[in-house]
Amino acid sequence: MRPILELRNLKMYYDTQAGQVKAADDVSFVLNEGESIGLVGESGCGKTSVSMSIMRLLPENARIISGNIFFDGRDVVKLSNDEMNKIRWAGIAMIFQAAMNSLNPVYRVGDQIIEAITAHEPNVTFEEARQRVASLYKLVGLDPERMDNYPHEYSGGMKQRAIIAMSLACNPKLIIADEPTTALDVIVQDTILRELEKIQRKLNMSMIYISHDIAVIAEVASRIAIMYAGKIVEMSDSVAIFKRPAHPYTVGLMSSFPSIRGEKKELVTIPGEPPNLLNAPDHCRFVPRCPFATDECWKAVPSYTEIESNHFVACFHPQNLKKRVSINA
Amino acid sequence: MMANNANMTVEPVEAKLESPISIRMKLMWRAFKENWKIFSQSKIGMIGLYIVVIFAVAGFIVYPILANTVWKTTSLNAMVSYNPVTGYDFLQNNPAPPSWAHLLGTDPLGRDVLAQLLYSTPREFMLGIVAALITVIIGTLIGTVAAYFGGTLDTFFMRLADIVLLFPFIPFLIVISGMMQVDLLTLALIIGLLSGFGGITIVLRSQGLIIKSRPFIESAKVSGASDAYIIVNHIIPNVMPLSFLYMMFNVTGAIFSEAVLSFFGLLNIKMSWGLMIYTADTAGYIIGSNIWNYWWLWLPSGASITLLCGAFYFIGRGLDEVVNPRLRKR
Amino acid sequence: MMLKYIGNRILQIAILLVIYVAIVFFMLHAMPGGIKTLLISNPKLTPQAQEAIIRAFGLNQPLWLQFVDYMKNVFTLNLGISFSYYPTPVWNIIAERLPRTVLLFTVATLIAFFVGFASGKSLAWNRGKTTEYVSTVVGIITYTIFTPLLIFVMIWFFGSFLGIFPLNQFLNPDLWIHTRLNAQIVFLYILMTMVIIGAVMMVSYLMALRFSHKESTKKMIFYVSTAISIVFALFLWVVSPIGIYGADILWHMVLPVMTVTIISYAGNMLVMRDSMLETIKEDFITTARAKGLPDKVVRDKHAARTAMLPVVTNFVLSLGFVVSGGVITESLFSWPGMGMTLLDSTLAKDYPLAAGALIFTGIFVLIAHLVVDIVYAFLDPRIRY
Repeated sequence: MRPILELRNLKMYYDTQAGQVKAADDVSFVLNEGESIGLVGESGCGKTSVSMSIMRLLPENARIISGNIFFDGRDVVKLSNDEMNKIRWAGIAMIFQAAMNSLNPVYRVGDQIIEAITAHEPNVTFEEARQRVASLYKLVGLDPERMDNYPHEYSGGMKQRAIIAMSLACNPKLIIADEPTTALDVIVQDTILRELEKIQRKLNMSMIYISHDIAVIAEVASRIAIMYAGKIVEMSDSVAIFKRPAHPYTVGLMSSFPSIRGEKKELVTIPGEPPNLLNAPDHCRFVPRCPFATDECWKAVPSYTEIESNHFVACFHPQNLKKRVSINA
Repeated sequence: MMANNANMTVEPVEAKLESPISIRMKLMWRAFKENWKIFSQSKIGMIGLYIVVIFAVAGFIVYPILANTVWKTTSLNAMVSYNPVTGYDFLQNNPAPPSWAHLLGTDPLGRDVLAQLLYSTPREFMLGIVAALITVIIGTLIGTVAAYFGGTLDTFFMRLADIVLLFPFIPFLIVISGMMQVDLLTLALIIGLLSGFGGITIVLRSQGLIIKSRPFIESAKVSGASDAYIIVNHIIPNVMPLSFLYMMFNVTGAIFSEAVLSFFGLLNIKMSWGLMIYTADTAGYIIGSNIWNYWWLWLPSGASITLLCGAFYFIGRGLDEVVNPRLRKR
Repeated sequence: MMLKYIGNRILQIAILLVIYVAIVFFMLHAMPGGIKTLLISNPKLTPQAQEAIIRAFGLNQPLWLQFVDYMKNVFTLNLGISFSYYPTPVWNIIAERLPRTVLLFTVATLIAFFVGFASGKSLAWNRGKTTEYVSTVVGIITYTIFTPLLIFVMIWFFGSFLGIFPLNQFLNPDLWIHTRLNAQIVFLYILMTMVIIGAVMMVSYLMALRFSHKESTKKMIFYVSTAISIVFALFLWVVSPIGIYGADILWHMVLPVMTVTIISYAGNMLVMRDSMLETIKEDFITTARAKGLPDKVVRDKHAARTAMLPVVTNFVLSLGFVVSGGVITESLFSWPGMGMTLLDSTLAKDYPLAAGALIFTGIFVLIAHLVVDIVYAFLDPRIRY
């Protein structure tokens, strides 16, 4: 399998009046063709910053300090904005967090999709583009008749489907789905995610799912990276993370979501405040909230250890199943 | 034991209990300080405030002092005695350019321009503030009542506001002041009344609707408060900041309207900035190529109108940042 | 959908119009002494003329009957006879002067809208530069300046210092003395030319929308047909014998148009700037950028197009303000339109003319409001039902 996207030690900082905010700090991962990865973490942990760095859609006060983002062999960090515009949507497409507001209210939905097609493939005629939109609409389960409607005439779920159709318009190799279903109700959420996964398999695209909900991600992504305070703290395939979480934060995340199947558990909340990314300390960032913290944890940033094949964790005290049971008891 | 306990809890509370008024004052002071902090960061608002303060000092403090010292009329020597606001300076040809005797020159009627300027300042303030107060009182009452009760009352006042909003205001005032004798107070009354039913009610109504949907209104209702009590004690205090903001814009509008009307010589008043330009204009000193040769006849008064109108508008913009958190810079 | 919306708006405006006339009527009657006193105290009228007017307009009738009559008269354009131009009917005077105001106001407003729109757009897009600061300050100054002061400065600078534009008046009498042409007719020809050019622009815009999906072809259709119509119109004017007289009127129009433009552009600019800054933060702008659209397309097609809506709304709210500025402008430039008529008739205590001018100023504002409302409905798909 060929890697389609590789992040190497990405550092993306915001300059604010209060100081530097390290939104993404030494983030590295590899994504292969046809593979999907989930980025999971609380809000404000830097998931969206990572995806915006990949798209190079950063606000004015944000900078990529160092690191590389290789997409299809090219380092997008070094590209000019015009070159980047060619990669956007044609190479990497995005499904946005707030589907409600991701469509321009004053243009017809179909036209907004056609706009993306003609921007990247100038030779496509208007009729061909319309036909492509119609087939995309069918693919995502929308009535092609609706493409001449305006966004306000769509329901929330329809908008989300239209946005998925839009993301597929230029046959991208990679789609970043940033909280693709958060604004929707649970049933619609589930259908849309499943359809997304089906389309991804069918078209053999790579996919980055971003969510705060580890249970949702585990269903659709083959691998999961847990982010905390701008860093990836644990990464492995979904089953391993779900069955054998090693980082104390992952353990906490796991128990803060109810499971539909399985025994009734009391929901555990992770004590303490989410971290302040401002002027990040030079020790493990989870340590103020960590029940397993020792003196060692206050002294240095833990590096990654591979506790089982392809299961990395950045912790001095990786947990295993046995220990966890004993603590819960 | 129980009694003891009760005593112990009551006593310290009573000791600390302040009168409701002083608590209110303290809360208001704290809110004021917080808002002041936001306001003082707005450059434009501060510029406006400085200009207003300068005009206020000039009109309310400097003028009375000067009038009783430098410009004091001495009845003993009638030839030399000279009232700078009304009298004719016989010692020179008028209008005269600025000199040491008349810092901003004299107008065609031999009156001191600076003295006229200062004399008019408190009147401009009065007019602007009286008109704006009337507007805000009417607007706040109608806006909150319409928001609170809704229904026909609401529809009626909103349609009325639609018309007033479209009203060709200045043309209307021109016709009215041409048909009847209008002095400064009547003008303030007319402006205040007319604009009180206008756009301000729409804005305050929508703010009132937001506040009406807050839980504390519901809880006040449940605890048996009357409609009037809720409007006066809960809704109005919460729309006050917005009312205050619109008051600033209305001061601008009122001063501007007065200046235009007196510039056309339509008002029955003794002296105002607009009238100063009118006097110079009708005496034929503001015509084409002449205009720059007699600059002191129209520039000081015109600039004063512009500055004072602008200053209140600036304060309004600055307050906008206090009231509308969306506009704030992070 | 659209027709129903427009019909609704027209109905609402008609109701507002009736209420407006009622307010004007009762306001004038509420004056001390009422209309009759004003009539009798007017020195220009002979007692016979006064008697005739009182009888013709039923001023001895009860108030409500007078009101009904007045309402009827307004809608049949029977506004009475001017005192100062006795015995010219008020409507004749207004019919002559209203088009002048309409032209002045429309041209100035359109320019002000586009200038304000374009400058507000680039201010928000190039945030934090010196140009932003300077234009904001200039905008606020022109927004708050006392209108007569602005006009004095304009007259001095363009009329006297540069000496390139006439200071006032509607036309140059020295030129017109040798001709038997009626200025009003020439003026109406100018108005007609502008209306035709405007119509051509609108039709070509709609054609461009219908026949092409390519941005560049659309632009070409629009610009070429506009250019052709303008060149053709100019050619006709240059060839025709009245060309020079038309040019004279236009020449006198430049300064008033410029003044009204300056009065109203700043408001548009400031609102556009704020609205654009808000819009840039919207998610659909991020979407547009993510789609890989060039910056210019994101700015013009997505951000500016959406940010324009509050500017149009603000435009409705500022109509009264601009009309007021127009009155002052017309009076100071002696541009014989509605504003000047209003002021002159008021100063001459010519009550029927003043009331007529006031009512038609109001009607004009209401119709402008209606037009803007319809334009808004075309711009914002969410409003159409």
